[in-house]
Amino acid sequence: MHRLTALLFFAVLGIFGVPSAYATDPTTIVEQPIEFPHDRHAGDMGINCMYCHTYARRSIVSGIPPLAKCMGCHQNIESVKDKPRIKKLFEYWEKKQAIPWKKVHDLPDFVRFNHERHIQRFYFEQEKPVQEVCGYCHGDVKTMTVAQQVKPLTMGWCKSCHQQDHQVTKGSKETTNGPSDCWVCHK
Amino acid sequence: MNDGGIKRRDFLKVMGWGGASAALAGCGNASLESGAELVQSYVQPEDFVIPGIAVYYASTCTQCEAACAVHGRVREGRILKLEGSPASSINKGKICGLGQAAVQSHYNPDRLTRPQIRQGGKLADATWEQAMTLLAQKVGPASGLQGGEFALLSGAVSGHLKVLLQNYVDSLGSKNHFIYEALSPAVTHSANRKIYGVESPRLHIDKAKVILSFGADFLGSWVSPVHFSGQYAKFRKAPRGVLVQVEPKMTLTGANADRWIPARPGTEGMLALGIANLLLQDAAYAQKAPAAAAAIVKPYNKEVVSTATGVSIEQLDKLVKLLKERSPSLVLSGPSAEGHAHGFQTAAAIALLNVILGNVGKTIDAPAALPFPQIAPQGGSYAGLRDFNDGLAKGQYKAVFVHGANPVFTAPGFMGVRENLGKAAFKVVFADAIDETAAMADLVLPLDSALEGWGTHVAHYQPAGTELGIQQPLMEKLHADTRTMGDIVLDLLKQRQPEQYKQWPDYYAYLKTSVVQAKNAFGQAATEDEVFWREALSAGVLNVAAPAQAAPLAAASVGVSLPAPEAANAQYPFHLVPSVRHSFRDGRHANLPWMQESPDALTTVVWDSWAEIHPKTAARLGVKEGDYLEIASDKGAIKVKAYVFPGIHPDAISVPVGQGHEELGRYAKGVGVNPFKILSPVFDKDTGELAMYATRVKVSRTGQHEKMVKDEGDSHGKQAGTKIVATLPSDKVNLAREV
Repeated sequence: MHRLTALLFFAVLGIFGVPSAYATDPTTIVEQPIEFPHDRHAGDMGINCMYCHTYARRSIVSGIPPLAKCMGCHQNIESVKDKPRIKKLFEYWEKKQAIPWKKVHDLPDFVRFNHERHIQRFYFEQEKPVQEVCGYCHGDVKTMTVAQQVKPLTMGWCKSCHQQDHQVTKGSKETTNGPSDCWVCHK
Repeated sequence: MNDGGIKRRDFLKVMGWGGASAALAGCGNASLESGAELVQSYVQPEDFVIPGIAVYYASTCTQCEAACAVHGRVREGRILKLEGSPASSINKGKICGLGQAAVQSHYNPDRLTRPQIRQGGKLADATWEQAMTLLAQKVGPASGLQGGEFALLSGAVSGHLKVLLQNYVDSLGSKNHFIYEALSPAVTHSANRKIYGVESPRLHIDKAKVILSFGADFLGSWVSPVHFSGQYAKFRKAPRGVLVQVEPKMTLTGANADRWIPARPGTEGMLALGIANLLLQDAAYAQKAPAAAAAIVKPYNKEVVSTATGVSIEQLDKLVKLLKERSPSLVLSGPSAEGHAHGFQTAAAIALLNVILGNVGKTIDAPAALPFPQIAPQGGSYAGLRDFNDGLAKGQYKAVFVHGANPVFTAPGFMGVRENLGKAAFKVVFADAIDETAAMADLVLPLDSALEGWGTHVAHYQPAGTELGIQQPLMEKLHADTRTMGDIVLDLLKQRQPEQYKQWPDYYAYLKTSVVQAKNAFGQAATEDEVFWREALSAGVLNVAAPAQAAPLAAASVGVSLPAPEAANAQYPFHLVPSVRHSFRDGRHANLPWMQESPDALTTVVWDSWAEIHPKTAARLGVKEGDYLEIASDKGAIKVKAYVFPGIHPDAISVPVGQGHEELGRYAKGVGVNPFKILSPVFDKDTGELAMYATRVKVSRTGQHEKMVKDEGDSHGKQAGTKIVATLPSDKVNLAREV
C-alpha cells in the first residue's frame, strides 16, 4: 500500500470516523429561555458590551448580567413593556428567579481562559473598539439575537493569534505576543 | 519506498496524528460543549460578588478539638476550599488534611436533609413543624417529664452552645448532662490537674532540646497536632532537638523520632521511674527533687526495669545521658501509656520525670486563665458514657438527647449500649448524617454543617493567651431543612422559658449580643459595637486581653504506685493496640472519601482496616500480608487482614479505630472492622476510665486471604531496590555516636 493511500485512509477516518473536535458548525443554535436580541442592544443602540458583561475587565469570566441590570433600564421603557419577551423578563423578576441562561462559549474544563488579561491588553492598552475586541472570539454579535459560537475556539485557533506580534499599548514601538507556555492556559 | 505492505514506521507516523485526534475526542470532554451547561446567573448580587473572583471569610474548624482558625474561599456563593488562618496562635495559618476535608462533610451526598420521625418501625421524612410538635409533646412543659427522666449525652462542649445546652438541661430540672469522648482525654486531664494543678498545661516543644514522648502522637492525633507540628519544625532547627518515642506501635510521631523504643505494653511507667532512678543517682538532680521521689524510684533499678520493659540497660543508660546532656527536655504522656489499669499512675510517673528534670516552668508552664468559666471547654470521658449507660440500663430515662457522640458505634460491646438505649422511650439524635446511634432514634434532627452555621469555640489547648474562635457560615444553607444546633436548642429553651429567651430571634442574635456585651474582655471597650462585631467576624478569632496571671505551675508531690508487670496470659497472649488515625479519630470522619483515600502514614493502606503484626510474630504464626486473622478478646472477635510491619512490639497487634461502620453513608458503611467492640472491661483504678490499651487478645489465621490495597504497592515497603531510604546493618554503624 502506498504511503499516500494510507495517509488518505486515516485522514478520511479522522474526519468522518471520529467525532470532530471542531465546533464551527453554525447550525448548532443554542436556545435560550428568552431570545435575547443582541442586535437591538449592541447593534441598534450601540451599547458597549461591557455595560452588561461587566466583569470582563476584572475577572476570568465576563459574566452574564444579573437580572437587576436588565430591570435597570426596562422598568422605565414603556414602549416595549407589553412585548412577549419583556413580559417573560418581568415574570422572572417578580419571582426573583435567576434566568437559566445556557453557556454558549464553553471551553473544556482543562483550559483556563482569562478574560481580564485579554480585555486589559486589547481594549484598555491598545484602545481597540470594544466590538472588535470581543468580536474577535465571539463573532459579530450585533448581528445575532442570542449569542452563537461562530469561531473555532480550538487551541490551534487560540495559538494562531498568540503567535502574532502586536503592540504593547496603542502606538507603542514595543511589540509582544501572547504566551505559548503550556502551563499558562493549562495550569 | 517498498511495494509490500505498510511498513510499521509509516503506519505509526500516519497514526500519529490520526490516532491522537481519536484519543482526544474519545475522552468526551475535549470538544467545546456549547449549550451543555448553565452559566452562573444572578438576580441582584451584592456589589462585592464578582463571578470568577473569590471572597474569603474567616471561621473556625470543628473537625477536632484543636479549633484551628480557617479561611474559607467562596466563589459564586459556594465554599470551595479551606485554608488555615494566620489570626490564631493555635494553627498560625496552617491546616491539616482533616480540616481540608470539612468541605466533603459539607457537600456529602449522604447528609441528612430532613427531620426523621420513626413511624411503623422505620424512620421517615417529616417536617420541622411535626418534629417540634413531637418534642413539645414529649419533653415540653406539658409533657410532665421529670428532671431525672431526661438525659443528654453530648461530645466535648465549649463556647455558647455549652451555655445553652446547660441551661436547657437545667430548665428541665435535670442534672443529667453526660459528656462523652470515645478518645477520652480524662486520664491526661486528671493527672495534669493533680500534678500541675491545670488540665492543659502549655507545652513548649520548640524550647526543648530533647523530647521523650511516651506514646503522645503530637504530630498526628494528639491534642493540637497542627500547633505542635509548627513547634516541632522549630525544635528541629539548629541546634537540632532529639526526639525519642516510646510506644507499642509506631505512630506518625514515632516514625519521625530519632530513636523508637517499643517497651512492653503497660510498662511505660516503670520505664519512666527507671530513668528517674538513674537520674537521682546524680546529686545535681537528687538535691532538687521532691522529697518523696527517692522512695518512689528506689525499687526501679535498671536491672528490674530492663527485665520488665524489655528495654536494654545500654538503651536506658543512653536515654539518661541524653536527658542529662540536653536541657531543658520535655517528657510527654500519651494514650498508649495511659490506657491501662494503672494509667493514671503511669501519667504521674511521667510527670515526676518532668519535675526531676526541672522542666516545669521551662517547657511546661501554666496556660492563661479564661475569665468566662461558662464557655470554658469541658472535655468528655468514658465515665460520662458509663453513667449514661447505667441510667439507661435501669430504665431511668423516658427521654434522651444525643449530640456530637455516636455511642452505639464507639462503645465497647460489653456495655450493651444498643440494648440499653432501646429502653429509653423517646430518643432524639441531632446529627448531620444517619450514624449507628441515629439509626435507633425516634426523632433525628438534621444539622447544618460546620460551614453553614454559627458558633463559638474555646479550644482546650491554648498555646498563647486565651482565644475565642468564631464560626460563621461560609455560604447559604445547602439544604433548606437543616438547622444549626444553637438555633434548635434556643427554640427548645423558648418552649420552656419563653420570657427569658424571646429577646433573641435566633442563635446568631444570641451570639452577637453575648460576644458584643463582653467586648471589654477583649480589650475593645472603646470600639463601637457594630465595628467590633464586624472586625471580630473578619478576623475569626478574639483574644482575651491581658489574661489574669495564672499561678506558675508548681508540681504537686504525688505518690506513684505501679503494679508489678502483667503476667503472661496463655489464653490471650497478645496486647491489642487500638490505634487512632488522625484522619478518622473516633470514626466520625469515615464518611469523608478524601480521608478514606488518604493512605495511612505508616502502612499506606486505603479504604480498609488492617492488623499490624511484627515480622517475627508473623513468621512464627505463618502469617503473610493479606491473610485474614481472627483477633479475639474475652468479649468478642473481629476478622481483619494482616499487615506485616516491624514498627510494633512483637507481642502486640494493632488495629486502627474508626472503621467498621454499619451506617454513616456510602463511604463508611461496610468498610473495615470496628475494634471498639471487642475492648475488655478493664478500667483505670484512679479515674475509672476505660483502659483502651489493656485488652488482651488471641490471634489465629482463618485461612482466608485477600490482597491488601495500599499505596506502597507490591514492594512490601522494600522500595523495589531503589534505596530511596537507605538502611544500614547495625554493625556498620558507630552506635556510640548515634542517639
